[in-house]
Amino acid sequence: MAVAGSGLRGPPGGEGGGGSSLTMERIRSLTDLPELEAAYSRLCGEEKVVQEELEALLEQQNTIESKMVTLHRLGPNLQLIEGDARQLAGMITFTCNLAENVSSKVRQLDLAKNRLYQAIQRADDILDLKFCMDGVQTALKKEDYEQAAAHIHRYLSLDKSVIELSRQGKEGSIIDANLKLLQEAEQRLKTIVTEKFNAATKEGDLPQVERFFKIFPLLGLHEEGLSKFSEYLCKQVANKAEENLLLVMETDMSDRRAAVIFADTLTLLFEGIARIVETHQPIVETYYGPGKLYTLIKHLQVECDQQVEKVVDKFIQQRDYHRQFQHVQNSMVRSSAADKIEPRELDPILTEVTLMNARSELYLRFIKRRIISDFEVGDSMASEEIKQAHRKSLDKLLNNCLLSRTMQELIGYYITMEEYFMWETVNKAVAMDTCEKGQLISSMVDDVFYIVKKCIGRALSSSSIDCLCAMINHSTTLLESDFREVLCTKLKLGFPATTFQDIQRGVTSAVNIMHSSLQQGKLDTKGIESTDEAKQSFLVTLNNVEVCSENIMTLKKTLENDCAKLLSQGFGGEQAEAKIESCLADMAAVSNKFRDLLQEGLSELNSTAVKPQVKPWINLFLSVSHNIEEEEFNDYEANDPWVQQFIVNLEQQMAEFKAGLSPVIYDSLSSLLTSLIAIELEKVVLKSTFSRLGGLQFDKELRSLIAYLTTVTTWTIRDKFARLSQMATILNLERVTEILDYWGPNSGPLTWRLTPAEARQVLALRIDFRSEDIKRLRL
Amino acid sequence: MSMEDYDFLFKIVLIGNAGVGKTCLVRRFTQGLFPPGQGATIGVDFMIKTVDINGEKVKLQIWDTAGQERFRSITQSYYRSANALILTYDITCEESFRCLPEWLREIEQYASNKVITVLVGNKIDLAEKREVSQQRAEEFSEAQNMYYLETSAKESDNVEKLFLDLACRLISEARQNTLVNNVASPLPGEGKSISYLTCCNLN
Repeated sequence: MAVAGSGLRGPPGGEGGGGSSLTMERIRSLTDLPELEAAYSRLCGEEKVVQEELEALLEQQNTIESKMVTLHRLGPNLQLIEGDARQLAGMITFTCNLAENVSSKVRQLDLAKNRLYQAIQRADDILDLKFCMDGVQTALKKEDYEQAAAHIHRYLSLDKSVIELSRQGKEGSIIDANLKLLQEAEQRLKTIVTEKFNAATKEGDLPQVERFFKIFPLLGLHEEGLSKFSEYLCKQVANKAEENLLLVMETDMSDRRAAVIFADTLTLLFEGIARIVETHQPIVETYYGPGKLYTLIKHLQVECDQQVEKVVDKFIQQRDYHRQFQHVQNSMVRSSAADKIEPRELDPILTEVTLMNARSELYLRFIKRRIISDFEVGDSMASEEIKQAHRKSLDKLLNNCLLSRTMQELIGYYITMEEYFMWETVNKAVAMDTCEKGQLISSMVDDVFYIVKKCIGRALSSSSIDCLCAMINHSTTLLESDFREVLCTKLKLGFPATTFQDIQRGVTSAVNIMHSSLQQGKLDTKGIESTDEAKQSFLVTLNNVEVCSENIMTLKKTLENDCAKLLSQGFGGEQAEAKIESCLADMAAVSNKFRDLLQEGLSELNSTAVKPQVKPWINLFLSVSHNIEEEEFNDYEANDPWVQQFIVNLEQQMAEFKAGLSPVIYDSLSSLLTSLIAIELEKVVLKSTFSRLGGLQFDKELRSLIAYLTTVTTWTIRDKFARLSQMATILNLERVTEILDYWGPNSGPLTWRLTPAEARQVLALRIDFRSEDIKRLRL
Repeated sequence: MSMEDYDFLFKIVLIGNAGVGKTCLVRRFTQGLFPPGQGATIGVDFMIKTVDINGEKVKLQIWDTAGQERFRSITQSYYRSANALILTYDITCEESFRCLPEWLREIEQYASNKVITVLVGNKIDLAEKREVSQQRAEEFSEAQNMYYLETSAKESDNVEKLFLDLACRLISEARQNTLVNNVASPLPGEGKSISYLTCCNLN
């Protein structure tokens, strides 16, 4: 059975994957019974598997058969579809051929039509040419120059090949003659138009001027037309400007606008030109095309420059501008007051110059915008190079025109004069510094910032970013070096202490005064007239320094807003914002310098005035025994031995500062004071000895002190007194080991600020604690 | 500490006669360009370039001033806050060299006494037109205690070196100042507030 079974499996060997794992050869070679049995059982297993597979396949037979039936049924349908498809393909091919045929005919038709059109065009052109030849003659005879020019324009716009072609025709010689006539007519017309235009210009006949101005482009004379027209416009500008300048000369000095009459004259000039541009731009654009405004304005700018020169020359002459500048320069070098120019005298001229520049900037910006938008229309299809070239020529026009250069020169002088005005006026404010009783700051702070603001504001009103930045820089220099130096010198005089430090202080002050006098090169006449005044002066200066620091930040913010307004109006180049920002950042940095100065002044006050007084008060603690019994403790209760007096003293001292210092500075000083008290008190406590009740006494004293100090400062002082409070806790213990209830793992929310060594040191201050016990502690 | 992303900030101001190539030097360094037919500078131009010097981010604020006389009062106002000045002349123009003492007087008058000044002879690509010999310029700069360098903005010769060397010197100068300042209180008229603190540890 085994043999038959394997025989059923077909040819043995490694061919089919479905074959038995045992080959016939292998079975035949088996001789051993167990091996045979093993092979038999394997084959039986395989047979079973095959049987199952067969059954499964037989089960599927029905489904497969029904599917086959369906497939057979599909057969005829498929044949039908195939036939239809073939038919369709045939029809499509046919249609395609048909369409191909039709379209090739249409293409031929189209070509024919195009050629026909071209032929008609040529014929039209030739006819036009003839028409032009005749038309020009009649139009010229009738003095209808527009018509004549239109004919010439038509002739000029004709394709030159058309003319060539018509000459090759049968009527070549006639056309040649006609062409000659036409060319002659063109020349004649050009001469006539130029003559007529000139005549109209001379008579100032605007309608005629405009009439012929429109004809020039028809004759291909764009440049000539523009330049001639500009000539006419320039003459108008010149006439008007001359009139205006004469009016200036006659203006009465009492006139309301007398102080800014030159700025007004420039304004009139600029407005005049702007009006001309406004009125004539449409004509130029319509008849000459976009992109031509630049040429027109370039011509106009030449005249503008000439007129500006005249006005500015008159301004320089009448206002003595150059001499004033010279005078300022000399005054800057010389220090004697007699030769110095009075800054107030400069005020009107400085205002006028900035106004003149502002008007010029406004005008230049107007021109720039107009030309840019005109170029944009004209260059919409142009290459990047052409656009670049146009932009460059515009920049050149604006930067190199005499107007720009003249204004730059005036502003150059202005900055020096404005700088002088600022320094001198500030010097005056400093010299006239007064402090009203009850005022925290003196007059010069407000004065100085008023002046600085005024000067920068004036520079800003010139609309020139460079001018503005220069004045911001000068103001920064002034505030940072000179004005800060003034306050610094005052602080160096020091704060004189009262009573027992007077002698000692007197010496230091004298040295300080001498020192600073030497530095300044002159003796401060004010000096210290009385201690009170010197004290007042020191405190006021401290307040001044703080206000300066704040004022600088305020000034910076104000200027930022003002500049943003100017920039949003389109003044200044692309870097304008960055430039202003950088200059203002420098200015803001000066504010910090004043803050530093304030800190220096405060620590000076603390170390020379506060500390020498507070320290002896604290040292009095040593003279109050804290090694006390019940009786003394009760006595202390009734007659406080130290802390109440200390608080009264502190109160008295701080009252003086509270009245004389701004709240912010007073707060800083109080903070310095509390730190000082904490440090000094710690020192004396460590020098004292305590009994149990003495510790309690100290605790009471410390609590009173902290309670008082909390009322005088705005910020928490608990932190500063943390170490002292912890010392009081230790001094209040019943026994040495009680500290372990609070130390280490038992500390709870308490963070010890005392090191274990310090804790032992404090424990040792209690005379009733035995040192062996303290030593034995494990901290 | 500064919020911005740099370790040092320095202001460099370029000065010198008109047409010696100040703008071209700045353009070459900041943008890598040499724009021919550069028009005269109006007032002052302003460029920023951040460079890396031994791992330190150094922001250079470069003020390119107009050389023409009429802008002098504007340009002078920038001297005082400058950490460094680049005094430029044109080696093919004797006149621009002869004006140097005048420029030095301006520096003396307006700049901070701690300013670093570098003398630059530009346009060495036009060697055949040279009017000022290198030796003469070197002697002059030595007498004035200035660092001297010859450059060509056109050929990009020594331009990078000029600014980077300057940045290095400014850094070491700034570090020295910090060491001094750590002992004494800040001096009045001190330059910009720069975060020196991180830098001292490295030295």
